Amino acid sequence: MNDSRHVTIVMVEDDEGHARLIERNIRRAGIMNEIRHFADGGSALRYLHDDANGPAHNGPALVLLDLNLPDMSGTDILADVKSSERLRRTPVVVLTTTDDKVEIQRCYDLGCNVYITKPVNYESFADAIRQLGLFLSVIQVPEANA
Amino acid sequence: MAKLSDRTANALVLGAVVTGFLALMAIGLLGVSVTQRNLAFTDRVAHTYEVQDAIAEYRILNEQMETARRGYLLSAEAQFARDFQANLERLPQALQQVEDLTRDNPQQQARVARARAITQRQVEAARASVALRRAGAIDFDNDVAAKETRALRALTAEMARDEARMLTERNSERLGSVSQLIAVIIAGGVLTLAIAVGSLWVIWRYTRDLTESHQALAKLNANLEGEVANRTAELRRANEEIQRFAYIVSHDLRSPLVNVMGFTSELEAAAKPLDALVERLEAEAPALLTPEAKLAVTADLPESLGFIRASTQKMDRLINAILRLSREGRRVLTPEPVKLDALLTNVAGTLKHRADELGAVIEIAPNLPLVVSDRLALEQIFSNLVENALKYLKPGRPGRIELRAHRRGERVIVEVIDNGRGIDPKDHSRIFDLFRRSGAQDQPGEGIGLAHVRALGYRLGATITVESALDLGATFRVSLPVTLSPDAVAA
Repeated sequence: MNDSRHVTIVMVEDDEGHARLIERNIRRAGIMNEIRHFADGGSALRYLHDDANGPAHNGPALVLLDLNLPDMSGTDILADVKSSERLRRTPVVVLTTTDDKVEIQRCYDLGCNVYITKPVNYESFADAIRQLGLFLSVIQVPEANA
Repeated sequence: MAKLSDRTANALVLGAVVTGFLALMAIGLLGVSVTQRNLAFTDRVAHTYEVQDAIAEYRILNEQMETARRGYLLSAEAQFARDFQANLERLPQALQQVEDLTRDNPQQQARVARARAITQRQVEAARASVALRRAGAIDFDNDVAAKETRALRALTAEMARDEARMLTERNSERLGSVSQLIAVIIAGGVLTLAIAVGSLWVIWRYTRDLTESHQALAKLNANLEGEVANRTAELRRANEEIQRFAYIVSHDLRSPLVNVMGFTSELEAAAKPLDALVERLEAEAPALLTPEAKLAVTADLPESLGFIRASTQKMDRLINAILRLSREGRRVLTPEPVKLDALLTNVAGTLKHRADELGAVIEIAPNLPLVVSDRLALEQIFSNLVENALKYLKPGRPGRIELRAHRRGERVIVEVIDNGRGIDPKDHSRIFDLFRRSGAQDQPGEGIGLAHVRALGYRLGATITVESALDLGATFRVSLPVTLSPDAVAA
């Protein structure tokens, strides 16, 4: 629990509404970690790789990734993170509307840690986020320089 | 060159062949008659030769007799007398021979008669002269035999000339008939050649026309195949585009829907404390609570939220249906041998619980055929049809659903027959459209099942038809190819 307190949640989500709903539910689940929200893939990648407080240089992080982004596909970001020496241990949770089997398999093949389909049914959605909170509280996010 | 029609060509070829045969027959007959005439001429020529021979023989005998007589008269040797006697004895027979051979010629017969008379006199005179010499006397001055011999020589020469003249005539006649024969043969040859060339020309022309039309047909066929291939490729592209479009659209529609649903729930959650507040106000300070505010919070707000929720849920179901359809369209089909008995039994088994609840029975006919097709798609098609049959039974009538199949040529017809409420004939084509339904809307559903069935059927190369009338049940017929071709799978 101590470690998770330092973990920054990097949310890559172009839909403001979704981002707000995710954040609300994360907070309701009792997760108080810092949430950094990016609406496009480019700025998210810049943060992940280059920011002084980003996971590549300092501090553990968890990436919440939407696959449908305006400037690039979420799978490109996933592939980038998982092939980077400094970032590949960073857990990536894909949270998207796509429930295509092929797409899900591809994400796991690329090294995604958890794949969650955004259910339209809000109760299921909230439930999924709460479980994500549970997940956050038990995982051991590695230190960037560990 | 003008093209020959089949009929004209056939008539021409047949006519040429028949004409050729007739001409050959005529020439053959003509040849026979000419040859016969030629033979007759030859016979006559040969006969003339015989007559000439006989005349010559007679003349030689005569000369030999005269020579022998003269010899005897001069030398009186016995040998000459014997020679004379021998030739003399043979003379009548030789003359008879000439007479026999010239019976067809009265002139020669007359000459023969004269010759006989002369011969008689000659022989008598000759014998007399010989007898005289034997007695020892010779009378050369009054030699009657020599005179008669000269007369006879002239007569026989005349006969020989006559025969020679006839020989010339007959020979020229024979030669004439030979050249006639040659002319007939040449004419026949020329005619045969002409007919052969004509027939060959007609056949060649006909064959060339046939080859040309064959080539044209082959070209047309090739074009047609190419055209079909092009169209198929276009259709496939269009279909793929629609699938992709449906997929993208339904996905992108989902995203805002998540927001609508999410924030509706948030609103509901937010309405709860408001509700509590209104209750407290009502209890503690009713003066502050206007009826409008109370109505808004306790009735209007929950009702509106309820409608938003129901509509978004419905929209979600519709989007999911489109997604499912597009996903089905992209699934790779795997044809395998499928026993329809087993497949339909399986389908009925999964729906048995529902059927029992409704008091309906599902009957499967025995000995159903085998098909090579995609098992999953077939299961989905028949599950949907049987499910529909169970869904739209006629209330108050025990449900009875029958599954049958029979082979017809290269296709298998599977029938799903129910005794339910039936479908109005005017809706028969509509029910296969997406989101369209028919009859009383008293059953849950979005109007997706039959659209799905039809889309799946198309992929399997199957057609689905319905036969039904209100209250009289419905029969859904699925006509499947016995073997799903790999081409269809690739599409």
